[in-house]
Amino acid sequence: MILLISGQKSARAFDGLLLFATQLDRRGHSVTIDARCMPDEVTKQQKFEAAPFLVDHQEVSPDIVLVVGADAISDEVQVFLRALQLDADVPIWTLGYFADRQDEITAQNKIAYTIGREPKLLNLAGPQRPALLEGCSAPLTFQIAETPDQQAGDPARLIVYVPFEDLEEPGVLQDLARIGYSAKIKLHVLTNGKGKELIRQSRYGVLSVFGYSELPPADIMNYADIVAFFGGGIAGERMMALALGAMGAGKVVIDCTGPAVLTTDGAPALKGPEHVHSLSAYLEDVVLDNRLEIGRRIQKSDWLRQFDLKKIEQDLRVTQPEARPAETSRTVYFPTNGNGLGHAQRCALIGEAMSMDSNLSFAAFPSCIDMLQSRGFACTPMVSRSVEHDDPYAADLVNHLRLRDLLSQSDQLVFDGGYVFDSVYRVISALQIPAIWIRRGLWQAGQIHPTALERERVFSRVIVPQEAFDELNTDYSTGGSVHHVGPIVRLNASSDADPAELRARLSAHFGKPIETLVVTMLGGGVASDRTAQTQLLCSLLEQRKDCLHLVIAWPNAVIADGLHGWNNTQVVRTSHTQDLCRAADLTVSAVGYNSFHEILYANVPSILIPQSAPYLDDQERRARAAADRGLATLVLESELLTLEREVSAFLDDGKADDIRAALAQTALPDPGNLAAATLIEEGLGA
Amino acid sequence: MLQSEAAGKRPQIAYVLDPRFPGGTSSAVAAELEVVRDFADIRVFALSTAMFEDQGVAPQLDEALNRLKLPIVWDATEIAADIVVLHNPSCLKHQDDLGVRLIARHLIVVTHENFLRPGGAEGFDVAKCLTQIQRDSLVLERHLAPVSAWNRSTVTGWIASHQLSQTWTVLPIDWFNICEFDLVPPTVCPADRRGRHSRSGFEKFPSSKVMELCFSPSADRNVILGADAFLLDDDRPSHWTLYPFRGLTVSQYFEMIDFMIYFTAPTWRESFGRVIAEATAAGKLVITDPDVARTFDGTVVAAEPENVDKIVQGYIDEPDRYVSDVRSAQRQLKKFSPATFRSNIGEMLTKLAGGSA
Repeated sequence: MILLISGQKSARAFDGLLLFATQLDRRGHSVTIDARCMPDEVTKQQKFEAAPFLVDHQEVSPDIVLVVGADAISDEVQVFLRALQLDADVPIWTLGYFADRQDEITAQNKIAYTIGREPKLLNLAGPQRPALLEGCSAPLTFQIAETPDQQAGDPARLIVYVPFEDLEEPGVLQDLARIGYSAKIKLHVLTNGKGKELIRQSRYGVLSVFGYSELPPADIMNYADIVAFFGGGIAGERMMALALGAMGAGKVVIDCTGPAVLTTDGAPALKGPEHVHSLSAYLEDVVLDNRLEIGRRIQKSDWLRQFDLKKIEQDLRVTQPEARPAETSRTVYFPTNGNGLGHAQRCALIGEAMSMDSNLSFAAFPSCIDMLQSRGFACTPMVSRSVEHDDPYAADLVNHLRLRDLLSQSDQLVFDGGYVFDSVYRVISALQIPAIWIRRGLWQAGQIHPTALERERVFSRVIVPQEAFDELNTDYSTGGSVHHVGPIVRLNASSDADPAELRARLSAHFGKPIETLVVTMLGGGVASDRTAQTQLLCSLLEQRKDCLHLVIAWPNAVIADGLHGWNNTQVVRTSHTQDLCRAADLTVSAVGYNSFHEILYANVPSILIPQSAPYLDDQERRARAAADRGLATLVLESELLTLEREVSAFLDDGKADDIRAALAQTALPDPGNLAAATLIEEGLGA
Repeated sequence: MLQSEAAGKRPQIAYVLDPRFPGGTSSAVAAELEVVRDFADIRVFALSTAMFEDQGVAPQLDEALNRLKLPIVWDATEIAADIVVLHNPSCLKHQDDLGVRLIARHLIVVTHENFLRPGGAEGFDVAKCLTQIQRDSLVLERHLAPVSAWNRSTVTGWIASHQLSQTWTVLPIDWFNICEFDLVPPTVCPADRRGRHSRSGFEKFPSSKVMELCFSPSADRNVILGADAFLLDDDRPSHWTLYPFRGLTVSQYFEMIDFMIYFTAPTWRESFGRVIAEATAAGKLVITDPDVARTFDGTVVAAEPENVDKIVQGYIDEPDRYVSDVRSAQRQLKKFSPATFRSNIGEMLTKLAGGSA
């Protein structure tokens, strides 16, 4: 195991360490970073990048220690080194860009004093050290691929780095958008946070934009065949790492910077136009038809060899670990943690429709694990968000580590959810595995914006489960990777769930005759408080003779104490809701995707009370579509008197039978369970 | 009276140094000027080296020069004398040119800093420094003057493994630091009050394990002056009393201890160890590692860290032996006295100036 320590405890030194650690990790090395080197102020992106590597120095036994940026080693870091408890045969290396022999000796001496023995030394500044590395602390290094890592055919994937200041220039955004319109090019703009915000606020907000610290350069590079740099220079070590890494991977790097910093230094980049306006023609005339050959020639550059990770491995006398044997391909489902079980239920339904020999498992939040395991799926537990965490993304940070450990490059990931977590976004970007996004629709108006959809770019396929009614289906994105399937719905309720039999069993279980059965499932109480509606139902049904009112409690549901005081009401936790609904005279339900479609497809007469929260889907529209067709009754949360009337209408005036009959006569779209499963299986084979 | 004095001829000696060098080296040079001035005409030339940018003249040197009415000539372009004495060549390590022409019969470079560290690694870029001096000196002979036996071994060791022009020779006698301290009588009832003082550099301190052996919980007191690095360490032992460099006056510190326990990083060694002589003069018993003890043969107790507790306890049990050994050590300090310097070094300088070369 390699332990990295930075020469200084600073944001910049730490960032350099992360770049180096990532490169070593991608090469297969077991690499760690001494957590004491992490500065007090760290960005969210840095935390995600650092988390896989950070270790407590007292808990590791490294095989080699690299002090990176030792040319400016601080007293604080010397204290860190002093506290290392290492075996005498563990080599410690002094790495840095040393200007002369005295600088080497100074760094070597400092480390020798602190550790009490002689460190080895590697001067990263070779005899022809490029000026563009001035100020760098960590080794900017990468693997040189044997063949160009480019996707053949159209469109060519292009990343254009443009600093914020240049984006503000008149016409630049328009020029970028024009490039993006080309069928031959798939454009991503790369800029800083301000630049990204500028684009999002402009009329070109749909452009695909990467923030330059959003992902490690090695991962950003995976989205490009061609990388062009504009501006006054290469901004910082991250962008330099991107430029060098892209060259090493045999991608076409175009130096459009004003001072031509790459080409002037001898880098095998193309000298491109200084203005974005001319880029399109330059690509057309010079690059697009020749990009693979250009990539091949770039890879042969002697200049590039000085950055070859293999060279540093030789210098440090470490060998590249042998590649792990290929593992059996797996499909891993990761349903997001909504307020109910909806995402996990949907994934389970699709998983059950996959062929028997599919090797699939789940990464699931605790609320879903019982349900999934009861259906035979293996689960890796994920961590739910908590107000107890210091960072709102702390749970996702842990989940990122778990996904990283769980997945390998032979797997595919199926994510079901609205917001693509950083953990998901990053692990797909890093592993470049097939990834599928199950993204049901009916978003609320405020949820539809480019930022919410920009992470679609990491998925190889998007599966959009349709709503039962056409007016509820909206395309948020289009293209060959977006696939629509029928509603994902549970059709085969338990085989022994004949409604009459079930009522008889319920009667025996609760020790009372059941003339009337009502099921209420109004959600967990997290998104919308439904205490008033539930209590009203309890009160109304309490007055009925031989009535059983079952209130379904979701995992993590908030259950009001008052519910336990009613004679006719029972609170139950069960995954057999569909069986109960089919046996019931009336179901009063929230209008989540799964509940709604189960009710429709199982011909269940229902009163629908939509939940409403900014992060939920538009349940009211969904309920209204059914109500307008006479297939359910919509009652809004404030309409308590209406609820009372409708309960009576269903139970006393035959409305339940009318709706059951109307449902029976309604042609609903074919369920999409199998189609979704097939798309996922195809994805793994692709 | 020296031979040359008897002949009525005073050597012309030019001192070349960066007077901003902090610590013991400047103190030693200040004391040396006082002695040499008695038998030679001295001029002092200052180099503005890159090593000490933005620092002032060392106070002890400044005070001595004022007292001796020796003006400093800064950054002369040419220096000529019978003998040029250049102190501490390592101050040139961060630059490429000496920046002054040296013309003399003899050039003596006093090697205050060890050329090699224990184990053989270079202490600084020696060749770079000596090359600057050699290139800009027009002299009959160039000499390297080690300051101690250990320092000498690093100079000869370096020469053995590096190419050095044959125009350099190594002087046969040590150009020792003059130690002229007021002698304080030792306490007659020593207690287990241990301490050490030094600059705060990491090279001055051994490993944590050795430190724990030297300053053990069993001691009544462990005072560490110059403990800046330990003050940064959250895991420092609670039974140590730590002060940053200059956090106490040296006299305050000496009042707090009876035993000076002085070990350094195994990868570094004092070239002279003036701090040890200072402690002996202050009436303290000094325990140090055998290699450092070589310079102060007969004045300190050479020990391994594991034995420190036992040695200290032995002296506490036998206070008469403590007093006797400290007084004996103090008598030994005359080896580093001004008189000895005048006798040994002065004689040599006069001979060289007399044209014997």
